[in-house]
Amino acid sequence: MRIQFRCNGADVQVEVEPDTRVIDLLREHLGLTGTKEGCGRGECGACTILLDGVPVNACLLLAGKIADREIVTIEGVAGADGSLHPIQEAFLDVGAVQCGFCTPGMILSAKALLDENRTPGVEEVEEALSGNLCRCTGYGKIVDGVLEASRRLTEEPDRGGE
Amino acid sequence: MDRMSVIGKHVRKVDGLELVTGQAKFSGDYRFPGMVYGAVKRAGVPAGRITKIDVEPARKVPGVVDVLTAKDIPGPNLIGVLPPFDQPLLAADEIRYAGESVVLVVAETAAAARRAADAVSLSIEPVEPILTLDQALAPDARKIHENGNVTLSKKLIKGEVKPAFESADVVVERTYETSFQEHGYLEPETVCAIPGRRFTLYASCQSPFHIRGHVAANLSVPASRVQVVQASTGGSFGGKDDVATEIGALACIAAQRLNRPVMIAHERKESIVGSNLRHAARIEIETGAMNDGRIVARRIRVLLDGGAYASESPFVTMKTLIHAVGPYHIDHVEVESTSVYTNKTYCGAFRGFGVPQVTFASESQIDELAEKLGIDPLEIRRINGLKAGDPNATGQVYEQSVGLLETIATIADQPAPPKPAETDRYLYGTGYASLAQGISNGAEGVDVTGASVQMSQDGSVLVGIGLTELGQGSRTVWSQIASEVLGVGMESVSVRLVDTDAVHDSGPTVASRSTTVGGMAVYKAATEVRKSLVSMAALMFQTEEENIELREGFAILKMDDSARIPIPNVATAAYWTGFPLMNLAFSKAPDANFDDETHQGDIYIAYNYGTHRMDVRVDRLTGEVKVLHHVAAHDVGRVINPLGLEGQIEGAALMGFGFAHMEKIRYVDGIIQNANFADYALPSIKDRIPTATLAVEDPNPTGPFGAKGAGEPPVAATAAAFANAVADAVGHRFTRLPITREDILEAIRGRNDG
Repeated sequence: MRIQFRCNGADVQVEVEPDTRVIDLLREHLGLTGTKEGCGRGECGACTILLDGVPVNACLLLAGKIADREIVTIEGVAGADGSLHPIQEAFLDVGAVQCGFCTPGMILSAKALLDENRTPGVEEVEEALSGNLCRCTGYGKIVDGVLEASRRLTEEPDRGGE
Repeated sequence: MDRMSVIGKHVRKVDGLELVTGQAKFSGDYRFPGMVYGAVKRAGVPAGRITKIDVEPARKVPGVVDVLTAKDIPGPNLIGVLPPFDQPLLAADEIRYAGESVVLVVAETAAAARRAADAVSLSIEPVEPILTLDQALAPDARKIHENGNVTLSKKLIKGEVKPAFESADVVVERTYETSFQEHGYLEPETVCAIPGRRFTLYASCQSPFHIRGHVAANLSVPASRVQVVQASTGGSFGGKDDVATEIGALACIAAQRLNRPVMIAHERKESIVGSNLRHAARIEIETGAMNDGRIVARRIRVLLDGGAYASESPFVTMKTLIHAVGPYHIDHVEVESTSVYTNKTYCGAFRGFGVPQVTFASESQIDELAEKLGIDPLEIRRINGLKAGDPNATGQVYEQSVGLLETIATIADQPAPPKPAETDRYLYGTGYASLAQGISNGAEGVDVTGASVQMSQDGSVLVGIGLTELGQGSRTVWSQIASEVLGVGMESVSVRLVDTDAVHDSGPTVASRSTTVGGMAVYKAATEVRKSLVSMAALMFQTEEENIELREGFAILKMDDSARIPIPNVATAAYWTGFPLMNLAFSKAPDANFDDETHQGDIYIAYNYGTHRMDVRVDRLTGEVKVLHHVAAHDVGRVINPLGLEGQIEGAALMGFGFAHMEKIRYVDGIIQNANFADYALPSIKDRIPTATLAVEDPNPTGPFGAKGAGEPPVAATAAAFANAVADAVGHRFTRLPITREDILEAIRGRNDG
């Protein structure tokens, strides 16, 4: 079947089998390998993308479900000029990245949260990232990274805005 | 070099940019024209003999291009860590664990390969599996391997324990057990092989040279015809060693047959059932002490369940042997450590390498002893703790960098929350644990690392080293070291990918050795390049070399800070003068020198010492434990990268917490029941604990700028502190890890009944 959707701000049309998972559509058809597969069962969150601004597991989503909708992957988070999003900057500054395999999903879950709520509390951050596993960091610095990004976005509201 | 520019400073991870933008290439992200995909059929039963393999149903699946069994392996069909290797790539005859690979199917798509592998029909004549330590060690037990069911058994003997126990005022004795643990790195094992006269293997892996050796042997080609490139690796923690050699060799063999690139990517389930776990352990431990708290003797027997193949069991046996006594000065000690084969998933390296298991037993017993003697738990650790000049369990004496007592003092000085009174709902407890963990390979093998440092005429620096970045931040540490020595900014330093064609075999990336041994090699190589720069700058300034320093990107006259020549100018001049701007240096740890019967002697180049305090709240109704406070003091010699150190300690701590409270591989009849992240409870963000890092710096003469490794020790100390804190809260000594909510509820019920 042929579907069209918006991906990272661009219109995309692809021919896919109806049972194609969105993670495979992204990685195999579009070459967007920043979306990672950690479990294939929606248990780890490494494949998190935004579907109309809402974080979803791309491994559980069939391609038909994104037809005529808008998705954002990690490749679409930084500016077109390569400037990093404040969440990406903050993650680097506070040490929220170790092996980096969970990082794309973490950043997208954090982005969904901060797009909705610029000044979340610690518990709101934990709730928003509760579907994203990380084995390296112990999570403390990931929470710090989201809170630091929140501060920067509040101070410089022009950056990373939708 | 007293004034540091980047050592000890807050710096960003040098390879972080690619990771936050999704540009980093992990093994599964490679694409090559004509690439096909491999998947294996696993045994599905823990023990038996293969009577028939029917691959025809697999061949009929559309897209299948090849099916391989053991007879298709050109080489010996064996991998392992120590010769004689005992683990087949594909089982030929005997099945020794349920996750064992038997048939490799290759197809045009990963999904077709998986479907076809599932379609393979295996006939296996089952035999009674050996599933427990006692079954394996029974005198009439069936032999899992030709040489029996003991992988390795070793003794450590210091002094004479028998009279020492007789002289003791008190003796405490107990048996402790710990469960299997899964690494749970987020990226499952993946490799991608490109055929040719020479083979290229992109691998998510920990020890590329180890892989190269096994790939070459099983392809039956010389090692120089295999190039292994470490792709970005999504965590390893000890886990991407044997399994990466297994799938790496299989992918190369299939690629050779088909003359097409082959990718093998494990699914999560395979990553749990078909790749090594942390050894389950049973530890019998006995401690004798005087009324004043001095420990006079310890006797310990460690049994490790190593599963079906040797893997790193021999080394883990050695590590537990040496570490079981703990960080204490005890004159009379006897330890026996034995690893055994069972028909379960093989066990091998996992962050801590046996030390978490024995530390739980040892530190639980120290608390029991303290209680019995009426001595404060921290005080009993101080009374017995190792100091510079004390002989440790192997009789090794360090005159420097023994910071244990300082970690204890640091913990004692920390303001801690007052312990709330018990309520109808909550119990509160405090636990401590101390440990020493050997840095680098020590008794486990020769320890050499080669590193190259190369400066271009523009003053930029390229570091090459055969150790791998797995997320732990080693590339950042090496960059800081080169940057500091050469006086150039961090932005001027890059670290090569690990490519076996381009870097020196540096041994495995294990044993918290990357900063210490790897960093020392980088330091030495950078120092040689520095000599050329200093010589050149001295010529340019027409002065003596001792008047030159390199910092801030300049060669500077010490007596006149404004007299500066940019490093690129110095480097260019050095190049045209013929002063070498590249060096390959080796860091070799002194050989371990010990008696093989008693394990008395010099084993490790240094130890990391640590003391933790944890305060917990236990919910009487649910058994839930909330960690209210956790401070982790470690003597790391010298902090190179504070952010990286905190990251290592916090991450290791949560892994230790998972080991102690949440994570348990559930076997029924030799089959793992919870091989997924829904049923195997990896700590989530809601389970995180508030670990605070306290660095103690007692410089280590064998490390760069005095540094010692830190990546592993917090796992053990956190797990042991947790057990002691929960025991304190509940008033019950737990003898098994993990201590789950159910265990806690049961203990509370027992307490109420009693």
